[in-house]
Amino acid sequence: MSWVQVSLLARGLSRRWGGICRTALLGAPTAQAPRGLHCSAVIHKDDVWLVPRPPEPQKKPIKVPVLHEELFTPSANGEQDKAGFLRAVRSFGEQSVRKRGHVDFIYLALRKMPEFGVERDLSVYNLLLDVFPKEVFRPRNIIQRIFVHYPRQQECGIAVLEQMERHGVMPNTETEFLLTQIFGRISYPMLKFLRMKLWLTRFKNINPYPVPRDLPQDPLDLAKLSLRHMEPDLSAKVTVYQMSLPRDSTGTDATQPHIVGIQSPDQQAALARHNPSKPVYVEGPFPLWLRNTCVYYHILRADLPLPEEEEVEEIPEEWNLYYPMKLDLEYSRGAWDNYEFDLDEVTEGPVFAMCMAGAHDQATLVKWIQGLQETNPTLAQVPVIFRLARSTGELLTTSRLEGQSPPHSPPKGQEEDEALEEQQR
Amino acid sequence: MSGGGLVSRAAAAVAAATTAVRASQVPRVFAVTHRPLHTSLQSRSFAKELFLGNIKQKGVFPFPEISQDELSEINQFVGPVERFFTEEVDSRKIDQEGKIPVDTLEKLKSLGLFGIQVPEEYGGLGLSNTMYARLGEIISLDGSITVTLAAHQAIGLKGIILVGNEEQKAKYLPKLASGEHIAAFCLTEPASGSDAASIQTRATLSEDKKYFVLNGSKVWITNGGLASIFTVFAKTEVVDSDGSIKDKITAFIVERDFGGVTNGKPEEKLGIRGSNTCEVHFENTRVPVENVLGEVGGGFKVAMNILNSGRFSMGSAVAGMLKKLIELTAEYACTRKQFNRNLSEFGLIQEKFALMAQKAYVMESMTYLTAGMLDQPGFPDCSIEAAMVKVFSSEAAWQCVSEALQILGGSGYMKDYPYERFLRDSRILLIFEGTNEILRLFIALTGLQHAGRILTARIKDFKRGDVTTVMETIGRKLRDSLGRTVDLGLSGNLGVVHPSLGDSANKLEENVYYFGRTVETLLLRFGKTIVEEQLVLKRVANILINLYGMTAVLSRASRSIRTGLPNHDHEILLANMFCVEAYFQNLFSLSQLDKFAPENMDDHIKKVSQQILEKRAYICAHPLDRTS
Repeated sequence: MSWVQVSLLARGLSRRWGGICRTALLGAPTAQAPRGLHCSAVIHKDDVWLVPRPPEPQKKPIKVPVLHEELFTPSANGEQDKAGFLRAVRSFGEQSVRKRGHVDFIYLALRKMPEFGVERDLSVYNLLLDVFPKEVFRPRNIIQRIFVHYPRQQECGIAVLEQMERHGVMPNTETEFLLTQIFGRISYPMLKFLRMKLWLTRFKNINPYPVPRDLPQDPLDLAKLSLRHMEPDLSAKVTVYQMSLPRDSTGTDATQPHIVGIQSPDQQAALARHNPSKPVYVEGPFPLWLRNTCVYYHILRADLPLPEEEEVEEIPEEWNLYYPMKLDLEYSRGAWDNYEFDLDEVTEGPVFAMCMAGAHDQATLVKWIQGLQETNPTLAQVPVIFRLARSTGELLTTSRLEGQSPPHSPPKGQEEDEALEEQQR
Repeated sequence: MSGGGLVSRAAAAVAAATTAVRASQVPRVFAVTHRPLHTSLQSRSFAKELFLGNIKQKGVFPFPEISQDELSEINQFVGPVERFFTEEVDSRKIDQEGKIPVDTLEKLKSLGLFGIQVPEEYGGLGLSNTMYARLGEIISLDGSITVTLAAHQAIGLKGIILVGNEEQKAKYLPKLASGEHIAAFCLTEPASGSDAASIQTRATLSEDKKYFVLNGSKVWITNGGLASIFTVFAKTEVVDSDGSIKDKITAFIVERDFGGVTNGKPEEKLGIRGSNTCEVHFENTRVPVENVLGEVGGGFKVAMNILNSGRFSMGSAVAGMLKKLIELTAEYACTRKQFNRNLSEFGLIQEKFALMAQKAYVMESMTYLTAGMLDQPGFPDCSIEAAMVKVFSSEAAWQCVSEALQILGGSGYMKDYPYERFLRDSRILLIFEGTNEILRLFIALTGLQHAGRILTARIKDFKRGDVTTVMETIGRKLRDSLGRTVDLGLSGNLGVVHPSLGDSANKLEENVYYFGRTVETLLLRFGKTIVEEQLVLKRVANILINLYGMTAVLSRASRSIRTGLPNHDHEILLANMFCVEAYFQNLFSLSQLDKFAPENMDDHIKKVSQQILEKRAYICAHPLDRTS
């Protein structure tokens, strides 16, 4: 009798433990942990964890089929789209009426979302939340409310909301309704939901220089977009100095990279005023991040002119036909009326133009300078010095369409972060 | 008090010195005038004195009058001109066809309207400024003709009258006065509005130094297609006193017959459609050296003088137009019935008539006051006053025409009635002859320059921390804040203003006194950097325009009462109405000027516009936008 009780207790405990372990190890797919008593074996081997283990060789983890993985196999024509995803979710609902293993399924579905291109679709998230059984996890008394009721399920709910947050998906009233139905008003997913409601709206438009959500795929368009993004002057003109030729037309070596430049009228005027005996520099490549894409640009700049060389702009005597441009008085503004902050501004040399090219070698950039000379005749007389850093390689994108997700595949957000770090190294 | 006396004496000394300096520097431009009587000493103008908190009564109180002979002379002119304009000029046809008919032009010429201000010895009418203003009232019944005539004689041939030498006058003025030749004023270029430095038209002296070769294009030239004599401004190379070669502007008299003068097709305009506006191109036009107007390299001053001299007449022109408009709308308001009542019985309609009458009265007073000042011997410098008249009258014109249309309701909007043409024609007034924005800067800056020079010593003392000056200023502030009665000698028993306008005169005095204080504070605060504070300058100009208007109406109404002109009680009402309104406007502007930018919203205004201009769009989110 007592044995039976103990075994039942152990069974319950191990279920809890198993849940927690699985959650912790979620990143790396574990072997489908057997349920119930078998799991306790793992717990008994806990002491092993205390001993520092030699780091496991970073070999390709053995591909273990994840539960419900088969639901997400591409359809016959190999397409992965929203319909396929919805079908998978629906078939899960049909296949297990009691929603067994729904937490695992939701985690899996969250991982799969980017592959199906539905990671920004609110209705899909709502559908996923709908997988949870209703009313079961709602705390019914004060004790349950004080302690985390059904923690694994609540964590799973939070994971759904977190992925929404990562992709900037704003929850709506349907989400709220589902969450109250599933977890009740006083629960952690609900708290997360409320916080998202509060903060996401405030953060959504916080960037004064918004980058479009879907960047153009064509490098030329991307270059135009990023040059416009960097240039504050709206009258600046984007010029395509050279179109890229398709790689296969003339062979691999003879490809002609695109060159796009931008120059504002002010910059043009500044270049015209530049002292021709002083050199100008082509510098770069400098990285520019647009969402998860990194592009590189070059600038044409000069050193700051020495203070004695700076021309003091004098107000010509006969300038304005209608009113005096300056008053002939000996006293100036009083200290009380100086509204400017006392800023120490580091003056930099003028930047005359920017460009983005398909290649970062001198040969390509020379063509840019040649193109610039057409609109800036003075540039022909100015010595141009190329100060180029080592090439940073190809345009780097980690967009979904380029496929080939790395074998060890963390959730999408982490992958982006790593790509970022790699670039910065 | 002794300190104050010292300071004022020092200021007077400075003023005397500056006047002397200026008198010795009076350029040729000023020396040659068409008025036979002149003294070399310029008296300080009324407006400039206002900046110091003084009211200069000479020339302003009493209101300038003309003699009975002059009055009957001008009435002789006015009669036929008025008959011609009311009976023969078909403004609607002129507007529709975009052209003044030839016979209308001929009749204008035969009436002598092409040479109103040309001296009699050159075949013109030789009228004074006052009489010119009077004629302008009638001519303004048609906007296109007004603009055509103004471009001809207010700016087109004005250069010859002002600075031309005897040969030039004898050669050109008779034909211009008779209207055989029409003149045009060619200053504006595609790249140069008020910026003289960016004038591209160039005149190069030929090898034999006998003529200049003129090349360039001018745009928006009124009468460009009709004119045969052009006053053209072009850049020439001038050897400076230190031997360096500089580009300077020179004015030329160019005949169409010199060759190489072409003009584009007439521009389609919003209003004044009957006037001819087009581009004028000069291509290798050979201009003899005798045709240089003024000195080589002295064109800038010529241009400034021409522009400054012609502005005051807009006041009388608008007043004439408004009087006509009041007649037309009053006719409508007294006959149109709604709810069994005439429109004229509704308070909101009555208010509009009061407004129109008040504006017309003020601008009339300002114009004839200015004209009277200009007609005083000694070629007084009334450029600020003239600019104020222009700003006030153009804005009042737009406002009143708009109110008139409001009275007329739907019929005001229809092309069948003349009212929409009045609206279209009056819009240009705020733009040409110097936009009102630019003229406000001119008004404020010229006055501040004058005040700044005179107050130099005082402000320097103050900045140095001179005890007497500081104490005196503080004492004055204290007295001001305890509420003082300002008496500048306008009202009272022996005052120049009639007692029935006493309250208004007191208001004017108070405004003038505190305006003087504020100007001093502003100069202390901003010094010469006030040039950059355009929002401050705008307020200064607005106050000054109000002060000038108040002075003009008080002076005129007082004269009307004392000489017993008909309906002078009506004038008192209008004068008091305007003075009270202007007084409160001034108080508001003065209180804003006393504040710092964060308090009077100036920095908000700047920030908003900066953010908009950075994006070049209206940047607020749509009211229906949501974030979630």
